[in-house]
Amino acid sequence: MANHLRFIGRTVMVQNGNVEAAYGALNRILSHDGIIDDVKRRRYYEKPCRRRQRLAYEACRRVYNAEMARKLAFMSRKNRQDPWLGC
Amino acid sequence: MPRDGRRHLSSQRPSCLAVTWPPPPPPRTARATEGRRGRAMSAALAVARQRLLGAARGPLILQRNSMRWDGKTYEEIPIAHIKATYNNTHIQVVSFDNMPFARTSCGTEGFQNAKKGTAIAAQTAGIAAAVKARGKGVFHVRVMVKGLGPGRKAAIKGLTMGGLEVISITDNTPVPHNGCRPRKARRM
Repeated sequence: MANHLRFIGRTVMVQNGNVEAAYGALNRILSHDGIIDDVKRRRYYEKPCRRRQRLAYEACRRVYNAEMARKLAFMSRKNRQDPWLGC
Repeated sequence: MPRDGRRHLSSQRPSCLAVTWPPPPPPRTARATEGRRGRAMSAALAVARQRLLGAARGPLILQRNSMRWDGKTYEEIPIAHIKATYNNTHIQVVSFDNMPFARTSCGTEGFQNAKKGTAIAAQTAGIAAAVKARGKGVFHVRVMVKGLGPGRKAAIKGLTMGGLEVISITDNTPVPHNGCRPRKARRM
């Protein structure tokens, strides 16, 4: 973060000399916060029309994935009350 | 707050600022080397580092961090800056007060043109930088990575292979808040 509070943000301490795990943790944090995608996107300029298309596509994709996950969670229920009650 | 609706800027505190700022003055101990700014900084850093280390010590207490590497506090350990561009990787090992120890890049290691933008080149540069820094008496180092290039991970691995001990990894990739306009998209 430039010169403000230099080693506070986006820092991961290495535990027990395990540098690979620390780097993996850092990468996970950054991608979860969307920083890696943002940096990749800013490499080339994204025109406003392309940006609007991308945002619409991402919104639709988010809705679709959420609905599909909900459906799958519903279908894969195991513990429910007796479905054949009375038969 | 004044009643005319205009709020004075100093009364607004961003809620995203996790560290209490300005930090309360730490208890006075006999620390000869640190100046006033160093003490304030180390207090704030200690607060944030407790949170980062995830130590289950209950609520965040402002206490002096007792982690030491070769007797040095975190702020006194040299820094290894790694700039990982898409075509090259630069590594510079600097002390905490910006005195240089070692500077290598893929180009100084004999690679040319496209071969500089590879992970193997970055690893070699990392090993060379580590060896040079070791020769000047550097053992622990905190890494600051800038950029997303092929040599990002490999350079850190090279530093470890060359004998330096990495204690923390920071990501310092510059993210503009919509500043300069980047170049146009390729393959139109």
